Amino acid sequence: MKKSLKGFVSVMALSMILSACALDSSSQQESSSSASKATKQSTSAEVKEYKATDLSALPDKAKARKDMFIAGISAPGGVFLPYFYENGWDGNATDPMFAPLVNLDEEGKPVGILAEKWDVSDDQLTYTFHLRKGLKFSDGSPLTADDVAFTLTLLHDPAYAGYQDISLAAIKGGKDYKEGKAKTIEGIKVIDKETIEITTEKVNAKSLLLLGGQVLSKAYYGKEYQYGKLDYLKELYPKPVGAGPYKFVKYVPDQEIRYVANENYYAGKPKTKNLIFKVIDTTTSLQLFETGELDYAGFSADDDTVEQLKSLGFANIQVGPVNDFGFIYVNNTRPQFKGKNVRQALIYGLDRQKIVDVKFKGYGEVANVPVSKVSWAYNEEGINKYEFNAKKAKELLDQAGWKVGKDGIREKDGKPFVVRYLTRAADDPIIPIAKENYEDIGIKFEPEIMDFNALVAKLNDKDYDLASVSTSQILDPSDPVEEFATGNPNNAAGYSNPKVDELIQKGLSTLDIEKRKGIYHDLYKELNENPPVILIHYRQSARAISGQIQGLNPDNYTGISASLPNISIKK
Amino acid sequence: MKQYVLQRFLQMIVILFGTSFIIFFLFAMLPGDYIDSNINLTPQRAQELKALYGLDKPVLERYFSWLGNALHGDFGYSLKHQEKVTSLLNKYVWNSFFVAIFALLLTWSIALVTGVFSAIKQYSWFDGFVTFFVFAAMSFPSFFISLLFIKWFGVDLQILPIGGMIDTGSDSTGLAYLFEVGKHMILPVIILTLLSIGSLTRYFRTGMLEVIRQDYIRTARAKGLKERVVIFKHALKNAMLPAITLLAFELPGLFSGAIIMEQIFNWPGVGRIQLESVSFRDYPVLMAFTMFLSCLTIIGNFLADVIYAAVDPRIRLK
Repeated sequence: MKKSLKGFVSVMALSMILSACALDSSSQQESSSSASKATKQSTSAEVKEYKATDLSALPDKAKARKDMFIAGISAPGGVFLPYFYENGWDGNATDPMFAPLVNLDEEGKPVGILAEKWDVSDDQLTYTFHLRKGLKFSDGSPLTADDVAFTLTLLHDPAYAGYQDISLAAIKGGKDYKEGKAKTIEGIKVIDKETIEITTEKVNAKSLLLLGGQVLSKAYYGKEYQYGKLDYLKELYPKPVGAGPYKFVKYVPDQEIRYVANENYYAGKPKTKNLIFKVIDTTTSLQLFETGELDYAGFSADDDTVEQLKSLGFANIQVGPVNDFGFIYVNNTRPQFKGKNVRQALIYGLDRQKIVDVKFKGYGEVANVPVSKVSWAYNEEGINKYEFNAKKAKELLDQAGWKVGKDGIREKDGKPFVVRYLTRAADDPIIPIAKENYEDIGIKFEPEIMDFNALVAKLNDKDYDLASVSTSQILDPSDPVEEFATGNPNNAAGYSNPKVDELIQKGLSTLDIEKRKGIYHDLYKELNENPPVILIHYRQSARAISGQIQGLNPDNYTGISASLPNISIKK
Repeated sequence: MKQYVLQRFLQMIVILFGTSFIIFFLFAMLPGDYIDSNINLTPQRAQELKALYGLDKPVLERYFSWLGNALHGDFGYSLKHQEKVTSLLNKYVWNSFFVAIFALLLTWSIALVTGVFSAIKQYSWFDGFVTFFVFAAMSFPSFFISLLFIKWFGVDLQILPIGGMIDTGSDSTGLAYLFEVGKHMILPVIILTLLSIGSLTRYFRTGMLEVIRQDYIRTARAKGLKERVVIFKHALKNAMLPAITLLAFELPGLFSGAIIMEQIFNWPGVGRIQLESVSFRDYPVLMAFTMFLSCLTIIGNFLADVIYAAVDPRIRLK
């Protein structure tokens, strides 16, 4: 999905450790620190809100802004074309300019944007999108089904090297087009100006969003298109034209991106004329907000930050869960981790509550199901919480045949139980806690610190014992679990469980959310009983919105972009 | 002299090729490449992408194709920024340069004056104060002192901007633009100066102390020359001699960017680009920029040797 280019977010992104900030904020994930992922009311997740108490405390700079909204962004790169940027922040930067056919609402359910509605055939293979009437791009040219067809065709071009893997949607004839065997894609049929029918070959609950993505103008981006040649698009990266609520004005490298309201937007011209995404660094975002340079900013949640935000008086503050979770990979392919007893022992034997407390200082929770608390699939009913229990862990290890050796380290077949733990942060609180906990149950724990790419390379090669990671933003509950399927190419845990395989498959084979809820609940129970990894945390973040801004409702799926057209400034 | 310069120049070319070779291989040896870091890709797609980017070829072949293109002035496209490496670096490197050059000028002039005066008045209260101050400035971690200054001048007093290079949404041009950028530059320049002034002051002080103990200074004084002439005409020139080497080494530093400062002040410099290129294995940027800095270092060395030879005949005679 578009914003989760990279698989993992290091939780370090939230900490204020300086040396790591550049790396983390520039990596392609959403940390809570920008115009991006934010949290709002959701069915299963409670959000604490603190209203602004004293609007007269607004800094003069903020008061002076009557038709401008400024939000922070971490590290855009200047490639303003959906599907072609290589930096997740550019994704945030393109959101206001390029509207999709379908997006997710605040509960993670699909909602039509440029598409008025869509039909899915009974066999769930054919999608028919009905576009709204009279749609226009920001340059005034009409947006039709041809543009949608062009966008999907472009993604099948053999020269396309971007993040979107359209083959997952399995459009009929897509492969033939890519291999040069067909001139057009058989499964894409333009019925009339406002209707397009797409036939796929595989039922996939995630296809709707893949097919209903942001629409590129054929007249603008397809003018020079030749099969197999996409380099001409590079010229257009800095000159975006889309159908979003705002249009592009100027990019000042590493400083800010300026937009102006798009009078051709289907829902009417946005209320606030000017929009600026200002490049900020997490170390000073609080100061920028305090002095009125920003109208909206996200922070890592901790008492100091929340108290300071409250003391400003002019900020509306929301503290709520983030749409991701953290876990430790366990290499199931290594003999010592093959038995589920051992993996259970690793969870029982680790004081996860303490880790979460140290890491998030009261703004985090121990994770027990592999999906975030904001997802519609989240359900902890009937789930074993694996509360810290060293005795239980020892019993399980005894059962698995790991006997305590002479120096207190367990042994089996003459081999001592030593685990090597890979992490990105030298100050990772898991290191001291796990070292103490695991040595107590007779497992020797050896931490190793490395950078992201090196860690991923080791994960891919399954050259590790334990490795600490965090998911990217979870758009669909299938995202974080599908890798646990046997034979999934991204199965870094090397986990294999026929029951899980079946449930993962089932979870994707229907588009009915109510049915999917039940399937995922069964899946979570099975993954809980026979754990592939050690789930660690859910975390929270804090968001501050300047008191004079109205209509801004950051959510967990689109961040602030869904509410951009509605923002107004109290006069 | 001509032969000496020519000889040093040829050496320089050889060193450059050697460096490019070593750098390329060191980077290639880093585990994981640009595509690997995207773990959401299916292996099939990853393989396709590696082929598109040419990452599936053997290292030696990649090196020679890189070298061939580089010799034609083509440093390729950044994988991450999807734009020409030369235009990417050009966009950011000057921002780093302007902060660095002002910091350099400030550092050298302050260090020269305070260093020389501390030496002349060795063990005086002035010397003690300067020594204390420069060591204190040097010992503060840069992020700490930066945040402290931001709090004092940006948040409490609100006289200087917190970060960035221009005011948000500003469209100023000409003189107003220069003034605006200058205002945003004050804190970064001060911080950089504070951090580097310590060692340089001590360096000048020691150099001066050594020289004023020399026999020819005593002779100059014995001749009845005024103290001012002795110090500034006879002593200073010789004390400055080793500084030539030091100055030449500053050359790459002018363009390399100050990573921590740039980050805290949101200064759009090249430091972040460089750090990012390492962490994302963006080889074209990494290679081009590291080679650029190596070139500057080697040229700096070359210049230092040549200038040194020009001002100090003893070097040439060897």
